[in-house]
Amino acid sequence: MIETKNLTKNYGTLTAVDDLNLTIKDGDIFGFIGPNGAGKTTTMRILVTLLEPTRGGAFINGLDVSKHGKKVRRLVGYMPDFMGVYDDLKVFEYLEFFAAAFGIERKKRKSIVEGVLELTDLESKKSATVDSLSRGMQQRLGLARVLIHDPKVLILDEPASGLDPRARIEMRELLRELKRMGKTIMISSHILSELEEICDHVGIIEHGRLVFSGTMEEIRPRLGIESKVRVRVADHQDKAIELLSALPQVRQVQALGNEIAVTFHEGKEANGIVARTLVHADLDIISIQPERLKLDDAFLQLTKGIVH
Amino acid sequence: MTTALTSTFSNLFDPVRLFGPIFDKELRVSSRRRRNYALRSVYLALLTVFVVVVWLQQVQYVSSSGLYTSSRLAAAGKVIVVTIVWFQFCVTQVVAVIMLSTAIGEEIYLRTLGVLMTTPITSFQIVMGKLFSKLLQLILLLAISLPLLAIVRVFGGVPWDYIISSLCITLTTVIFYGSLSLFFSIFSRRAYVVIILTGLVLALLFGLLLFLYMLIFSVFPWWGRQADASITIVFHLNPYMMLALNTDVMLNPGLAGSVSSSWPVHCFIMLAASSLVLSASVLLIRKIALAQAVGFPNILRRLLNPPRAVSAKSAVSSETEGNIRRVKGPPVVWKELKSKASSRERLIVAIIIGLELALIVAMYLFPVVDDIFGYPKAYMLYICIFMGLGLLTVAIFSATSITSEKEARTCPLLLVTTLSGWQILIGKFVGVVRRSLFVWLLLLIYIGLFWLFDVGVGLFAMVQMAIIAAGSVVFLCGTGFYFGSRFRRTSGAVITSFILMVLVWGIIPFLVILLKDTFQLGRYFFILDDLKEYSLNIVPFVQAMRAMDGNPSLYESSRFITSYVLLGLFFAWRAEHHLRRNIF
Repeated sequence: MIETKNLTKNYGTLTAVDDLNLTIKDGDIFGFIGPNGAGKTTTMRILVTLLEPTRGGAFINGLDVSKHGKKVRRLVGYMPDFMGVYDDLKVFEYLEFFAAAFGIERKKRKSIVEGVLELTDLESKKSATVDSLSRGMQQRLGLARVLIHDPKVLILDEPASGLDPRARIEMRELLRELKRMGKTIMISSHILSELEEICDHVGIIEHGRLVFSGTMEEIRPRLGIESKVRVRVADHQDKAIELLSALPQVRQVQALGNEIAVTFHEGKEANGIVARTLVHADLDIISIQPERLKLDDAFLQLTKGIVH
Repeated sequence: MTTALTSTFSNLFDPVRLFGPIFDKELRVSSRRRRNYALRSVYLALLTVFVVVVWLQQVQYVSSSGLYTSSRLAAAGKVIVVTIVWFQFCVTQVVAVIMLSTAIGEEIYLRTLGVLMTTPITSFQIVMGKLFSKLLQLILLLAISLPLLAIVRVFGGVPWDYIISSLCITLTTVIFYGSLSLFFSIFSRRAYVVIILTGLVLALLFGLLLFLYMLIFSVFPWWGRQADASITIVFHLNPYMMLALNTDVMLNPGLAGSVSSSWPVHCFIMLAASSLVLSASVLLIRKIALAQAVGFPNILRRLLNPPRAVSAKSAVSSETEGNIRRVKGPPVVWKELKSKASSRERLIVAIIIGLELALIVAMYLFPVVDDIFGYPKAYMLYICIFMGLGLLTVAIFSATSITSEKEARTCPLLLVTTLSGWQILIGKFVGVVRRSLFVWLLLLIYIGLFWLFDVGVGLFAMVQMAIIAAGSVVFLCGTGFYFGSRFRRTSGAVITSFILMVLVWGIIPFLVILLKDTFQLGRYFFILDDLKEYSLNIVPFVQAMRAMDGNPSLYESSRFITSYVLLGLFFAWRAEHHLRRNIF
């Protein structure tokens, strides 16, 4: 659905996007992650026809964004990182204005606007002026605007920035709902843990180059990160450490207060071995918790240049 | 001992210590801005053109007689010195107003003023740092022409007295104008609003007061007994009168002593007025910065939109009820027609309508105006003023229509829809016409009244006026959209539109007329004569005066409107081309 081929964008001597190759499949939620100035927003702006690439190509549904601007705009809904509002319009008028701008027939507009207002839970605000809405409401309105022409692709540039925790959770739920509706979503954010919970795929970009693209499960072997589990036993912690240290799969065992941190050798299967060993030794287990690789950790490691 | 004394003395007068780090920062930044170098180049180029034209005009009658030639050269020297002095005087005050129009507004826009307030920098240092860093550049402009002035002075036998007094008058005027511009920049972050406000206040101070003086002098003859004293006051308060008198005395030494005025007193008054304005700025700036820091709107907006007490009940009803206007027709046209005028737009329209009404009242309530100008001349003058105000309004609204979308960050939202560039521009054009309609209607009513009560103006002349106005509006809309598509900030687009207007309808025709007068007998006379005619024909004010003067020509009007519509469409086409290119 979304594809970039050797996409490059230069601003004078600065290369904002450098030979970017990206593929996002139909119906996926793709998390686009990178530090400030990495080239995320530039890539998104090229995809929505607001910028021309210097070299390479960007395609939506097989259409070249540089050549078929109008067709691409019909397919894409774009929410910028900072949403401007027409402060003298009411919520309903604002959405109807954009419905008209997308060429939707007048008689269909009312039902469409009411539909997106219901989806984004903004029905009670339809007569409020846009500038009187809170930041969270304005972000929701932005999402409603994006949906007004029922695009197949949504490109959302940091939609959760500046929102309070409740509004973030609501936004996340809304995105899940949109995924259920079959939309392909490309989303960038600095709140990485949020993307982790909703994204099927992630792409990590630094200095305009894609340093990783894949599923969360694919990041771990790519980084060569060891698996870890944290264990708590009721008593005999020393015995547990001794037993676990003797396992051939285990590289290191450390006591961390009441817990034991067990690190496995790279690529070794660790599922169930810890529990089996401790049960055989008649040790009472309080908890075993595998340590998941957080997106924040992957982001930090990848953007430090560990992966070449 | 001497070293310590020197060090203390130099520390005391070190501008960086005196005006704080703002002065230092401004100087550093200005040295990196290409526009400052461009300004100096344009200034020098214009000065050279004026001096060359005046020189050619003066020496064209030089004969073989040595005595006559030397007397002509001496006269030419004097005229060139006067040209340079007046050029400096006029240009530096315009540049001062423009340069200082963003002095504080930019800090407010970039939200750095609140940050400055959290540092030990004082309001005094902010104001003085801003003012003197810009003044240094203006002094540099004055210094550029000093060598030329010094050399020509020798040939013309112009006394040093004149050069020094003129420079002092120019400098104190520039300080006053700059201070006023800086003062208004505290209230608005938009440079053009500041420029318009400063211009209005200066017009009131130096134009209207002079006009009132003339009025009182004519209405109350007994005032004549006090004339000497009052004229002295006018000379001391008005820099234009002071410099004119100074120039007159230099050119005609016999006049010396006829008016008891002294340029040092005038300079002192201007400096005192500047100090007052700057003191007010220093007092205000902290309040404004703190208000900005806590998110209050600017003072102008508060004056125009005073906060209303809203009860809880009415707040709820405003959210749930209210008339929703359905979108009909092209969406951008609908939005431009339905949206309320912003506080800034209302302010501009209010100022212009107020000014026009004041002028009409002045003309019809004080018959003495007819005596001063003569009725038809006064009428023509008013038509030109009203038309100028209408064109100014169109220039402002067209240049702001695209940049205001950029500043509000709604431009990308509009451009990712399926609307074409032309659909957006047509909508914007309708918006400009709608917003400026009030000003044009006043002009129409004024002409209509004249037509009803006076047989001098025919219906055809009125149609011709409408054609002239329509052509100029299309042209200004095209150029305004073009500058709007090229600039990111509203101020840049509006100021460029102003410059274009002044250049095409002021400076170019003026230079062509000067050149034509210079080559009265040469072989270029016919070319220059045609050029003069063309350059005058493109000025809407000239066209309007010809139409009202009883010489309406359908051919001329058709040529005028065709050229301007074509030019306007060309600029609109370029604007459409750039609309999607310079969004962020």
